[in-house]
Amino acid sequence: MRLTAIVLFASLVLIAASASTAAAHHAFAAEFDANKQVTLKGTIAKMDWINPHAWLHIDVKESDGSVTRWMIELGPPNSLLKRGWTKQSVPAGIDVTVVGYLSKDGAKRANGRDITLPNGKQLFAGSSGTGAPGENQYK
Amino acid sequence: MKYRQFVALSALSVLLALPMTTASLSAQTRTPAAPATARKWIAPKTSWGDPDLQGAYSNSNENGTPLERPEIFEGRKLEDIKGEELQKIKNDAQKRTVENFAGPLHAPDGWWQPDLTMTKGTQAWLIIDPPNGKIPPLTPEATQKAAARAAARRSSGRGPADSWEDRSLYDRCITRGLPGSMMPAIYGNGYQILQAPGYVTIVYEMIHEIRVIPLGGKPHPASSVRSYMGDARGHWEGDTLVVETTNFREEGIYRNANPETLRVIERFTRTAPDVVKWSVTLDDPKTWTRPWTFSMPLTKDDSGPVLEYACHEGNLGLMNILSAARAEEKAAAEGAARKK
Repeated sequence: MRLTAIVLFASLVLIAASASTAAAHHAFAAEFDANKQVTLKGTIAKMDWINPHAWLHIDVKESDGSVTRWMIELGPPNSLLKRGWTKQSVPAGIDVTVVGYLSKDGAKRANGRDITLPNGKQLFAGSSGTGAPGENQYK
Repeated sequence: MKYRQFVALSALSVLLALPMTTASLSAQTRTPAAPATARKWIAPKTSWGDPDLQGAYSNSNENGTPLERPEIFEGRKLEDIKGEELQKIKNDAQKRTVENFAGPLHAPDGWWQPDLTMTKGTQAWLIIDPPNGKIPPLTPEATQKAAARAAARRSSGRGPADSWEDRSLYDRCITRGLPGSMMPAIYGNGYQILQAPGYVTIVYEMIHEIRVIPLGGKPHPASSVRSYMGDARGHWEGDTLVVETTNFREEGIYRNANPETLRVIERFTRTAPDVVKWSVTLDDPKTWTRPWTFSMPLTKDDSGPVLEYACHEGNLGLMNILSAARAEEKAAAEGAARKK
C-alpha cells in the first residue's frame, strides 16, 4: 500500500517534471482542499471563458433565503471546448448543480469537478478519455 | 526551496516511476508506412521557396515522457525501445495517472488536461545526446553557484508563498522561458508556426508568448540587451530551421544556466505531413561539462485554435495560492495557541 502510494506520487511528479516548471496556475493542492468536496445548486450568473482557467459564477440560495455568489474554477477554455462545453451549454440564468472542492482560504470559491444541466446532462470539468471515476456518465 | 524540492522529486520519480516512460502510436503508426516502391515524401515549400513548417501543432502526447533516461533502460538506446515494449510502457503510465484521479493524493490536477494522450507518446525519454540519455554533470562553477543559491534561499527565512515574489515566473504569468514555453504540460500545449519572407513566427498559447525570429545573418544585439525569452536568430540548413537564442536574463533562465554563456539551439524539421521534429541543444560551457540535446515531435493539431491567454487578468490562481497560505498560517497559529 505504502509502495503504491509512493509510485503514484512519483508518477505525478514525473508528469509535473515534463512541464519543466512545477505546477503553476493549476496548483490544486496550494489552493483547494481535496478532502472538502462540496455540492452547490445555483443559477448561473456568468461564465468567464478565460485563460489560464475558466470561472463559472453561480448564485446559490441559502436556507435563510439569502443568495451567495460562488466562483467555480474550471479547466482552461481549450480543454473545456474539447470536452463539449460551449457558450450555449452554460448560459446565464439556468439552474445547475456543481460538484467541486472548496478553497483552502474559506472564500466562496471551489474547484469544479462536474456540472449538471437542467436537462440532466452532465459535463465533466476534467479530462475526457481518461477513465476517471464516473467519467463514463458524461459521455 | 520549492524548485529544489521539485528537482529532487523529479529525480526520485524517474527512479520510481519507471514504466511511466514510453510511448506508442508512433508517427509511423498514424501515417502508414509507404510501400518500398513509393517515392519519398518531400517536405513542401512556401511560395517564396522556404521549407514550409506552418500550421497548428501540439506535443501533448509527450506529456509525461521523462527528460532523462530512466534507470530501467540503462545501456539501451532510445531508438531500440519501440513497438509493443514502448506501447506497454505508455499504456501503463496512462493507467497509473488515471488511477490517481480516484484518490485524494493531489488528484484533481490531472482533470484539466484537454485529453490524456500518453498512450500516443513516441519516446521512452527525451534526451538524445549524450547517448546515455542523461543531463551532463554541472561544471564546478555551476555546482558552487547552485550551492550558494540554495544557502541564500535557506537563510532568507522565506516560505514558498510569503508573497507573489516567492512564486515562479510561470505562476506569475510572466513567462515559461525557453525552452520551457514548448515543454509539454497538462494543458495549453498549442503552438502555431507562421512564416513570412525573412521571418518565422511561433505563437505559444500558454502565457501567450510570441517569438518573431529573423532569418539570415543578422547578429544578436549587444550583451547588455537581455530578455526572458532571449534573442532568437534563425537560418535554414537544408529543410531544417535552425534557431539560435542567446541574450537571456538571469531570472527564469532554463535550469539556472549562465545568462552570459547559454546558447539554445533549436532545430525544426518537417518529417511528415503532420509532424515537425523539434530538437533543442543546450550549450553553456559555464554550466554543463558538455552540450546536450533533447528532442520530441510536434504533431499537427487542428482540433482547436490557439486561444487568447490574458494571463495576468485571469490569474486568480495566484491570489488563491497566497490566500490559502495565509489561511493555513492562521490555522497553525490558532492551533499552537490552543496547545498553550
